Amino acid sequence: MLAQQLVAATRPLGRLLAECARRVQALREWYRTTAAATPEARATTLLREWLSPQQRAQFDAEGYFEVVGCDSGKRYRIHHGTSMNVHEMDDAGHSKVGWCFVPNRRLVAGDVMLAQKIALETCENSALAVAGFRQTK
Amino acid sequence: MATQIVMDHTGDTRHYFNADDAEALIKAEERFKALTSAGFTAAVRDAAGDVTVTRSFDPGAEETLFYPRLVGG
Repeated sequence: MLAQQLVAATRPLGRLLAECARRVQALREWYRTTAAATPEARATTLLREWLSPQQRAQFDAEGYFEVVGCDSGKRYRIHHGTSMNVHEMDDAGHSKVGWCFVPNRRLVAGDVMLAQKIALETCENSALAVAGFRQTK
Repeated sequence: MATQIVMDHTGDTRHYFNADDAEALIKAEERFKALTSAGFTAAVRDAAGDVTVTRSFDPGAEETLFYPRLVGG
């Protein structure tokens, strides 16, 4: 008797859980096919793939990451953005100069940041030769 | 499977090819030349994660990323 009552009482709960599971699955599918496929999401995924483990950790924690220029050894901080987002840092960790160089085609932030990272790490002088800049201190 | 990744307005477009397939390799080299001729920079990442910029097609490269010419903002 008691067992039958328990089974009857938990039946709606089971249906509710099944419905929740179905909705979570639908949400996952929507994210996989829609949200994760946006240009911004794709570019961020690509950027994270190409960052070093230290840069990736910094980017995830702070929203920016730092690179070392291959020619000068200077440190640059690349913030999320598509322009005026590269800062040359001084020894105290303060922004010294803001640099602006971007791909000549319209790209989303993750792609711009990755192009800037590779340029500074592999051909710093060439990148800065075309860049605009402003003193920040 | 080797990959050529081209940055574009969708985020990126990926071209996968079998480096052991001579025909696929020719197509990949043609794509490399077309993109670099159009001003794209080619960057290769090795298994250790080190990135180098290259001006010639490397048939052994596992992953090559192409980004557009950089200009002052």
